Amino acid sequence: MKKDIDTLKKRSRRRRDVVEQAGSASLALSGLVGMFFLVVLVWQIAIPTFIDGENGEISAASEFIPISDYVLEWDHPNVNEQGDLKTEPIVLTITWEGQTGAQTHDLEIVVTANRGEKEDVQISEEGLSTTSIEVGKKTKFYLKSVLDVPVSVEQRSGPVPAADASGNPHVSSFVVSGDVAVLISNGSAVFEPLEMAGWTSLLVLTFIVSRPTERRLAPLVRCYGRERQIRGIILLLAIFTIVIGQTTLSAFLGGLCWLLFGVALLRTIEGMERLQNQGRSLTEVKRLKHSISDREGLLLWSRMLLVSACFFIPLDIDIPFLTERYQDIFQPYASGIRSAFFGTVWVMSIAMLVSMPISIGAAIYLEEYAAPTRTTKLIQALVTNLAGVPSIVFGMFGLAIFVKQGGIGLGLGPSILAAGLTMGVMAMPIIVLASQEALRSVPRSLRESAYGVGCTQWQVVKDHVLPSAMPGIMTGSILAMSRIMGEAAPLVVVGAAALVLFDPEPLAALTGGNLNFTVIPIQIYFWTSEPEHAWHSMAAAASIALILLLIAMNSIAIVLRQHFRKRLNS
Amino acid sequence: MSEKIGGEHVPDSTRALDVDGDIDLMVDDLDLWYADKQALFGVSLPIAKNAVTALIGPSGCGKSTLLRTINRMNDLIPICRYEGTITKGDVEITAKDADLVEIRKNIGMVFQRPNPFPKSIYENVGYGVRLHYQPSREELDEIIEKSLKRAAIWSEVADRLHDLGTSLSGGQQQRLCIARTIAIEPDIILMDEPCSALDPIATAAIEELILELKKDFTVVIVTHSMSQAARVSDYTGFMYLGRMVEFSKTDKIFSDPAEELTKRYITGRFG
Ligand SMILES: Nc1ncnc2c1ncn2[C@@H]1O[C@H](COP(=O)(O)OP(=O)(O)OP(=O)(O)O)[C@@H](O)[C@H]1O
Ligand SMILES: [Mg+2]
Repeated sequence: MKKDIDTLKKRSRRRRDVVEQAGSASLALSGLVGMFFLVVLVWQIAIPTFIDGENGEISAASEFIPISDYVLEWDHPNVNEQGDLKTEPIVLTITWEGQTGAQTHDLEIVVTANRGEKEDVQISEEGLSTTSIEVGKKTKFYLKSVLDVPVSVEQRSGPVPAADASGNPHVSSFVVSGDVAVLISNGSAVFEPLEMAGWTSLLVLTFIVSRPTERRLAPLVRCYGRERQIRGIILLLAIFTIVIGQTTLSAFLGGLCWLLFGVALLRTIEGMERLQNQGRSLTEVKRLKHSISDREGLLLWSRMLLVSACFFIPLDIDIPFLTERYQDIFQPYASGIRSAFFGTVWVMSIAMLVSMPISIGAAIYLEEYAAPTRTTKLIQALVTNLAGVPSIVFGMFGLAIFVKQGGIGLGLGPSILAAGLTMGVMAMPIIVLASQEALRSVPRSLRESAYGVGCTQWQVVKDHVLPSAMPGIMTGSILAMSRIMGEAAPLVVVGAAALVLFDPEPLAALTGGNLNFTVIPIQIYFWTSEPEHAWHSMAAAASIALILLLIAMNSIAIVLRQHFRKRLNS
Repeated sequence: MSEKIGGEHVPDSTRALDVDGDIDLMVDDLDLWYADKQALFGVSLPIAKNAVTALIGPSGCGKSTLLRTINRMNDLIPICRYEGTITKGDVEITAKDADLVEIRKNIGMVFQRPNPFPKSIYENVGYGVRLHYQPSREELDEIIEKSLKRAAIWSEVADRLHDLGTSLSGGQQQRLCIARTIAIEPDIILMDEPCSALDPIATAAIEELILELKKDFTVVIVTHSMSQAARVSDYTGFMYLGRMVEFSKTDKIFSDPAEELTKRYITGRFG
C-alpha cells in the first residue's frame, strides 16, 4: 500500500546513526572525564596519607608569586583623532640601585585610544629595552624587571590619575589608574552605546515576541519587503560593534545581541507575513506564536544572551568600588575590589563552563546508558560521598593536579585557570547528583511515548528526558555555583594572593603572563583580619558585592530553569 | 493437552489460527520471561490486515506483555527476555539486528494512560513526523490537521494548537495520542486498553474512531470490556495465565466458544 506520508522527503538514516553514535560517545566521554577526576582525587588523598616516603610534594603555592613585574595602566588617551599629542606625554622616571651605581631612566608613554594595544618594557642591567612606547587606554602593560633589586617608578609629567592628589603614581603599587572618564570624555564614548543599543533592541524585540499584541507589532509591519536591507544593516552593525569595540568580551556580546536581534526580527516578520497571507489578523496572538519558526528557541537564546550581556556590557562602565579601584593598602576607603571581582568572575566562569557539561553528561551516562553493574554502583557511591567532601580537600587536589608540575600535575601554577578547574571539580559531584535525581524523576510513560513514535535513545534523551529534567538540573547547578562562589579555603591552597593590584589574566597559565589573582572571599578574609576598623567596613561592602555577583551569575541558570519549567507546566 | 494450575485446567496455547484475507503480522510460539518468571507460554497470534483484533483475558494474563513485544517495547525492560518469532511480511521483528526505529514507526502504540509529550498539541503530532521526514511547513500543517481530524479531535483543538497537550482532558489526550500515532501512518496500531481512563461518551467516540481507522490501518486492541470487544473487533484472542487459550472470529467466540474456559470468562462466571 502506498502511503501519503511517503511522498515527503525522508530524513537521512545515516545522519541519524552518526548523530546517535556521536551523542552517546560524547556522553561516555564526559563520564570518563568525570571518573578520571574521581580516581585521581581518591588517589591523591590516599597517597600522602597511606604511602610512606612520599613527602614534601604538597606545599603552599605562594612561592610562585613573582616580585619583579610592575603593571601600569592609564585611562585618558592623550592623542586626538589626528594622532597629535593633546597633552604632554606621560614620562615615568625609573630608578634602581644597579651594580655600577644608581641608574635613572626615563620612559615616555603615549596613551592612544586603541584599547588593547600595548608594549611591555624590560628592565635589565643594561637599562630599559625602549624609552618610548604607545599604549592603548585602559590597557595594562608590564614593566618586567630581571633585576633582583627594587625598582622605583615615579611620574614626572603628563595627565595625572585623579586618584592621586599629589601628582605621583601610587608609591606602593606602581599601578596608575585613571578615573571614569570613558563614557563622558573623548571620542571613545560612541563605541559602548553601540553595544548598549544592540542589547536594548534585543530586549525590546524579546518582549514583543513573548507578549505580542497588535499595537506592539504595528511598527514591524513597515519592515515588510525590506528583509534584504535589514539583513545587511544588522550584519554591518554587528561587525562594527565587534571591530570598534576591539573584540573585547562586551563588544563580542554586543555583536551577538545584534545578530540574534536580526534573526529574530526576520523570523517575526516572516511569521507575520505568513499570517496575513492566510488572511488572518495579527491579533490572533497564539497563531503568531506558532507562525514564528522556532520561537521557543529564539526566546531562550535571547533571554540567556540578554542576561549574560547585561552582566558584561556594563563592565565597560566603571563602578568605582567594583570595577575601577584596586586595593590601596594605605587608604581603606579608597580601596576597591577590581582585581578580586574580575578574579571571581573568571574563576566562576571557568568552573561552570568546565563542570556543567561534564557533570550533566556524566549524569546522563550513569542514569540512561550505563548498565547497572557493580562498577557503576561503586562509582555511584563514590560520587554520592564526594558531594560531602570538605572543600579544603578539593584545594589539595587542585594543588596536586592543576597547580604543580610533574607527576599527574598539569603545572598551571597558582593561576586563575587552575583555580577555575579546581572549583569546577568541586562543583561536579553536586551537579551530577542533582541531575541524576532530576533524570530519575522523568516519568517512564514519557520515555515510552517517545520510543513509541520511533525515537532512538539519543533522541529520547535530547528531546524529552533532558528538557523535562532541565529545571532540576539547573537547580543543582545553581546550588553548586552558590557553594563554590563563597569558598575561600580551596583557593588559599591553590595559591590565590592577598594583594593583587592589576587585572587578572584568565589564560595567563597558558600564555605565560602574570599568574597572580585573587577572589572576593579571599579579599574579604584578608580584610577582616586587618586590625584597622575601616577595613572591616570594606570587607562588609565586598560581601555585598559577592552576593550581588552571585545573583547576577545565577540569573543565567534561573532563566534557563524558568524557561523549561514554564514549558512543562504552563 | 492441558496443565492443572491452582485447581484449574489451563489448556496450552491454541494452534487454531485461521483468519480470512491477508495476515499483516504473525506471532509464532512466543515464550517470555520477566527475570525467572515466565509470563507468556508458546503464544501464537495472527493479525489480519485492515481488521481489528481484540485481546481479552483476566488481569495479569499477559495481554500488555504480548502487545509490547510486538513493537519491541519490552526491550526497555532489562529483565525481560523472550524466545519465538514475530514476523511482519518478510521482516523478522524479533531478529537481533532488527531496526527498532523502523519497527516502531510502522507499528504505532497507544498506551493505557494517555501520555502526550509536554509540548504543544501541534508539536505532539508533528514531532514524530519530523523525526522521520523533512516536511515543509505547509506539508506539516496539512498532516497535523489531517491527523487531528482523523482522530476526531480537530474541532476541539483547532484554535488552541499551541496549548500544551497535557492541558487537555483525559479523553482528548487519548485522542491526541491516537493522532500522534496515526500522523506517521504506521501499518499497525497497538492499543492497550485505550478507554480505561475514559467516560462512556469519550469511549464511544474512540470506538467509533477504531472502526473508522480499520479502513486504513490494522488495529490490535486490548480491552477488559467484553461488549467493547464484541462491538469493535473482527477477531478475538482470549488469554489466560500467559496462554492464548482461544483465537477465532469475534462472532464465533462470543456465540460459540470452543473452550470451556473462554465460555466461563465471557459470560462472567469466572474464578
Ligand atoms: N516490568 C515487569 N517486571 C516484572 N514482571 C512483569 C512486568 N510487567 C508485567 N509483569 C508480569 O507479567 C505478567 C503479565 O503482565 P501484563 O501486564 O502483561 O498483564 P495484563 O494482561 O496486561 O494485565 P492487565 O489487564 O491488568 O493490564 C504479570 O504477572 C505481571 O506481574
Ligand atoms: Mg495491561
